[in-house]
Amino acid sequence: MASSLMGALELLLHPTPMLLSILSTTLQMALLSSCAALLLGVPLGAALSLLRFPGRQALVVLNRTLMGLPPVVCGLICYMLFSGVGPLRQFKLLYTVPGMVIAQIILITPLVTGIMESSLGHTAGAVRETARGMGLGGGVTLLLTLNENRYQIISAYLMAFGRAMAEVGAVSMVGGAIAYKTNVMTTAIMMYTNRGDFTLGLSLGILLLLISLAVNLAVWLLQKRWA
Amino acid sequence: MEIRHLSKTYGGKRVLDIPAFAFEPNTRYAVIGANGSGKSTLARLLAGVIPADPGAAISGGGSVGYMPQKSLGFRLSVRRNLRLGVRDAQAGERSARLAAELGLDALAKRDGGSLSGGETAKLALARVLAGRWDVLILDEPTAAMDVPAALRAEECILRCQRETGCTLILVTHAFGQAERIGQQALFLHEGQLWEHGPAEQLLHHPLRPETRQFLRFGAFA
Ligand SMILES: Nc1ncnc2c1ncn2[C@@H]1O[C@H](COP(=O)(O)OP(=O)(O)O)[C@@H](O)[C@H]1O
Ligand SMILES: [Mg+2]
Repeated sequence: MASSLMGALELLLHPTPMLLSILSTTLQMALLSSCAALLLGVPLGAALSLLRFPGRQALVVLNRTLMGLPPVVCGLICYMLFSGVGPLRQFKLLYTVPGMVIAQIILITPLVTGIMESSLGHTAGAVRETARGMGLGGGVTLLLTLNENRYQIISAYLMAFGRAMAEVGAVSMVGGAIAYKTNVMTTAIMMYTNRGDFTLGLSLGILLLLISLAVNLAVWLLQKRWA
Repeated sequence: MEIRHLSKTYGGKRVLDIPAFAFEPNTRYAVIGANGSGKSTLARLLAGVIPADPGAAISGGGSVGYMPQKSLGFRLSVRRNLRLGVRDAQAGERSARLAAELGLDALAKRDGGSLSGGETAKLALARVLAGRWDVLILDEPTAAMDVPAALRAEECILRCQRETGCTLILVTHAFGQAERIGQQALFLHEGQLWEHGPAEQLLHHPLRPETRQFLRFGAFA
């Protein structure tokens, strides 16, 4: 145990090409999927909370259901879609980073949508009333509403990023944990632990914790400044 | 601005019901009434921020400026908040003057979302008064302000109304303010326009017992 820890720290100070590849694949996947989830989730959440249309309630319930979608189920569905017999087979997404990003987007977009839907709902009415009273148009009013919720938007993003970093079920099914290609931190930890190599697993675990710490520090700093 | 069959129902309860009324141009109206009598509902309906019950008609309003009872300071600097209401150079001048008179200059760099209730009200009032409106609706604009600030705010409101010749509809709990600003007064009681007429007469010689009862405990500060 102690020697594994020493080895892990040693590895973090002198990272191997393997470790660097795992790190860069992970960051690529998490950044791409969380940015896409933000770009999709904010407008979707805004539409759900600001517009009144038939079926809105049903969509809210559907989104809450998707928020609880088990990652392995998402992995299964993506696997079936991307595999050699699936309808999306010609895009060759199975065992690729773009395939993993798509699975992550399906998992984390509902989170961003849900946070936006509920937080915009709290402030939208007052913003709209004040803005309409000043004769401001719909575009400015929307921007003001988003600005009132900027802290929630950033923390929703950071939460989505954190989830994407930490998720294992879907990415291992869709990505296949191929070394130097689709192996990310979580799948690597599983793989090396199974092989009895605790050193690399532990160093990745420490890194994940540090990243989570950094994300939460960022949320905390934002909260101090804005909330 | 004329209203006909103006009513509003929440969950089966009719909280406002006014068969007909006409607000004249270039006239100042004070709206008084107990908590829950429907003053804010009337203000919102006239401002068009909530829909009335089917069958209602509001006509001849023109441009409407409205300061809600729960006005927001947006999470921008106070200066940028003020600029939101400004669309031309003249409005810019009016805004600058209002900000100075209402004591907002010292707050210019503050975040509009972190102001106190009274400061927020000053900001909201300056923002809406900078515009040029045919109808200006203010819902308890000075309720959160201290007395000197409220008196200064009244001067600003009066000056803006005189300069623009707009129809002013001022909801207030301060009878003194209703008297100083209102030429006409409306008394709402349980969602109905119970009594209306020249402000001086309604406030000092109300005709109906409910109006008299309501005004009895009021201080004319
Ligand atoms: N959005 C709403 N939903 C349900 N009831 C409401 C709503 N807005 C106002 N009411 C009710 O309508 C009545 C009149 O409210 P309001 O016009 O705000 O009174 P006030 O004269 O104090 O401004 C009150 O009984 C209030 O509870
Ligand atoms: Mg009210």
